[in-house]
Amino acid sequence: MKAPATQWWRLVAPAGLLLCGLTCTGCGGTRRLDTGAASGEMVMYGATARIRGFDPVKAGDVASAMAISKIYEGLLQYSYLVRPYRVEPLLADGMPEVSADGLVYTFHIRPGIYFQDDPCFTNTAGRGRELTAADFVYSIKRVADAKNASTGYWAFRNRIVGLDEFRKASQGQESTDYDLPVEGLRALDRYTLQIKLVEPYPQLLWVLTMQYAFAVPREAVEYYGESFLNHPVGTGPYVLKAWRRNYRVEFERNPKWSETGRKETYPREGAAGDAAAGLLEDAGRPVPFIDRIVQFVVSDDSTRWLMFLTGEFSTSGISRDNWDAVITESRKLDRKLEEMGIVLAKTPTLSIYYLGFNMDDPVVGGNRKLRQAMTCAFNTEEWIHFYNDRIKRPTGPIPPGVAGYEERPALFPYDLERARRLLAEAGYPGGRDPRTGRRLELTLDLGQAQSPEMRQSTELFADFMTRIGIVIKPSYNNWPTFLGKLERRQVQMYRLGWVADYPDAENFLQLFYGPNSSPGPNHSNYSNPEFDRLYERARVMPDCPERTRLYARMARMIEEDCPWIFTSIPLDYVLRHSWLRNYKPHDFPYGMVKYLRIDAAARRAWKMRFGG
Amino acid sequence: MNTESVESLPESMTLWQDAWRRLRRRRLAMVCLAVVGLYTLAAMYGECVYWWYRLHDETPPYKRVNLAEQYQPPSFLRSPFGGRETGRMSSLERFLHGLKALGHHPLGTDGLGRDVLQRVIQGTRIAYQVGIVTSLIAIPIGVVLGCLAGYFGGRVDDFIVWLYSTFACIPGLLFILAIAMVVGKGLLGVYLGIGLTMWVGLCRLIRGEVIKHKERPYVTAARALGLGHFRIIFRHILPNVFHVVIVTFTLRFPYAIGTEVIMSFLGIGVQGEPSWGIMISNARLRLWHGVWWEMAAATAAIFGIVLAFNLLGDALRDALDPRLRTGR
Repeated sequence: MKAPATQWWRLVAPAGLLLCGLTCTGCGGTRRLDTGAASGEMVMYGATARIRGFDPVKAGDVASAMAISKIYEGLLQYSYLVRPYRVEPLLADGMPEVSADGLVYTFHIRPGIYFQDDPCFTNTAGRGRELTAADFVYSIKRVADAKNASTGYWAFRNRIVGLDEFRKASQGQESTDYDLPVEGLRALDRYTLQIKLVEPYPQLLWVLTMQYAFAVPREAVEYYGESFLNHPVGTGPYVLKAWRRNYRVEFERNPKWSETGRKETYPREGAAGDAAAGLLEDAGRPVPFIDRIVQFVVSDDSTRWLMFLTGEFSTSGISRDNWDAVITESRKLDRKLEEMGIVLAKTPTLSIYYLGFNMDDPVVGGNRKLRQAMTCAFNTEEWIHFYNDRIKRPTGPIPPGVAGYEERPALFPYDLERARRLLAEAGYPGGRDPRTGRRLELTLDLGQAQSPEMRQSTELFADFMTRIGIVIKPSYNNWPTFLGKLERRQVQMYRLGWVADYPDAENFLQLFYGPNSSPGPNHSNYSNPEFDRLYERARVMPDCPERTRLYARMARMIEEDCPWIFTSIPLDYVLRHSWLRNYKPHDFPYGMVKYLRIDAAARRAWKMRFGG
Repeated sequence: MNTESVESLPESMTLWQDAWRRLRRRRLAMVCLAVVGLYTLAAMYGECVYWWYRLHDETPPYKRVNLAEQYQPPSFLRSPFGGRETGRMSSLERFLHGLKALGHHPLGTDGLGRDVLQRVIQGTRIAYQVGIVTSLIAIPIGVVLGCLAGYFGGRVDDFIVWLYSTFACIPGLLFILAIAMVVGKGLLGVYLGIGLTMWVGLCRLIRGEVIKHKERPYVTAARALGLGHFRIIFRHILPNVFHVVIVTFTLRFPYAIGTEVIMSFLGIGVQGEPSWGIMISNARLRLWHGVWWEMAAATAAIFGIVLAFNLLGDALRDALDPRLRTGR
């Protein structure tokens, strides 16, 4: 999943950041938001990045995916507490039956799951109808429909028998015929879904936890047409109450759950240490705990930080500029904050941030030595220093903790002499372009122009490059424009991050697979037949040592070719107030908000003591 | 003959000479003029630095990163060598060293170890560029439209008044942001955004002045002589209302600078060059750690120039407006 390049502390712990409580106890003269203390309602206020819309086929960015996961659900979900990550059934009645050859998956759908009430259900006078297996068939077909230009088709391409033909048929002018049968995607009866695969696809179970596989009712899509993006109709724990684009979004507990007697419970099983950490206190209790969630687009770091300090937000990341004041030299929490009952959680993340080259570009694309030289000129130590040791430098496309990662020195570590030598071999001695006699100038495209940290770190990178004589011209865009440029291949270099969709190296390596080129996720448009061949082989293999060896070999090929300069793997530091309960950092926090609870009494007491 | 008669007339000063005389009498105005002069020198110096490095195709010092020197507070006596070597120096060396130390980050450094003073100077350059270019866009539009509306009246006047009323009723900053969004980020957007909105006030003033002047005897005389409309407007009336342009320019210049700072602060202004707005935006996050100098330097620079221009503009108006003249 794409993530803006510097604001990762916000993205890798979105669960935390999206759940920030504003409180009204101890109101001074200022107007505070109503936490529902009077009505006994549990309300959370928080921050979110800009949400593009609520259509699961377009859940390409973290903020939208987080919002969509509150409303829609899929067959499977990640278990909240268990590590290493594991999937468990959500709308499916138990795990699927898999045929011996690994090609046929049969899911039984839970009966008695209803969509929320909505005017789109004209047959039932606006009452939400029951979820059936056909809804999943329809939803996955929507992702495949070329007219929807889904960001998630890569997850199903060449996987499900007949789905690619369906996509081809949908490319014409006339509207797509969803009644066209797809052999590999059938509802055997009301509650049974069968998926037939072209070849074994062990990642399918991870994929089915993603927004692209969430159940969407056909009535809503047809009723709302173009504006379905703004009218989500799901089965999930929350419904969308109000949405003002780029400003405010409000979710409310889905009344259909109590009406139809649907019960979901807090997990009873956790990882080692969870019980001691109090994460199992609510085991077996019905979820969701929170009645209403209101989020604002707060793009200013210092505003967010001050709101956290005054207890209005219940969690916070730590921005670079706050680091010194929050974390001591020994990587512990500052004593004052500790006294305020603030808790620090540190976790590594499954994500990689990088500077990509567009391999279609005549200057950087065809010149491997140039890319290698720039990789060598990237001063890891200064970069880490700039980010206050909140990051690690990745050596290749696979982050630690995922099979295929190798603990070894990088092929092109920081070495200015070597960088200059490589640059001369690339045809730019001293950085000068022999045709013009001037320094080589490269354009770097970025999203999120308003963030000072983004700007400063980009200036730092530009300075690394001037040390070998290359001039970097930054071009700042807003996030949607930036993504548009990437999709149209109109960039020379770009800065981006990748947050894993599932904990498998395949998810990182697919970013270099030729057929995934833009508008797919391979925004560098890297194409290497040898790599593609290995990738095609590895992706159908179940987890085994040979697959791990293949992954490592592919990672090495990428490192050698340098389509990216790997800049950082974030270490995730999340702060939270002690009155936010059941919080556990998760790399895939989508939909996990239902497990969180606010201890209202503790929060009131805290506000009395420390609040402004 | 002529020489003699001119010398014998003590009052034969032009409007401008008279204005200068009046201006010179006001000490505060002269201080402001000096301040504006200093800023102008700084901007010109900044421009020279910029072009020097640009023509030599090198990275200018105000962009050079040095993380070893980040967040150094302002100091006029800092050794660039860390003070270790001074013991073994001769007195001449020590003197030269002292001189160097004077110029080593007197206003401190920012988060990437860049010299704040140099960045403030570059910010002055950008501010002046914006002030001048936007004036070059706004003044011709305002003057031409104002003259046409005032002189011809009737339908022409109706149209131009409608046009500037329409522009005037759109909230200024929003309009500028919209233009900048259409043109794209960067200086061009700033120039056009501010330039295309700033002419309105000037146009209205010029129109009023021209209406007043077109009934004056000298215009009637010119008309009686059979001169063309445009000659009357631009050769006869315009020089008589030009002081309005000068005063408006002086008062609008700081407005343009302020707007540029706001746009750069919001991230849609200058890109890749130091601007006061960008400096403030960068400095803001570290302020609560006590890193105040980058913010203070940029803010003081803005404060100084805006105040100087505003006071100067007021004084100029007093000096140039005949209605304010006393018997002196």
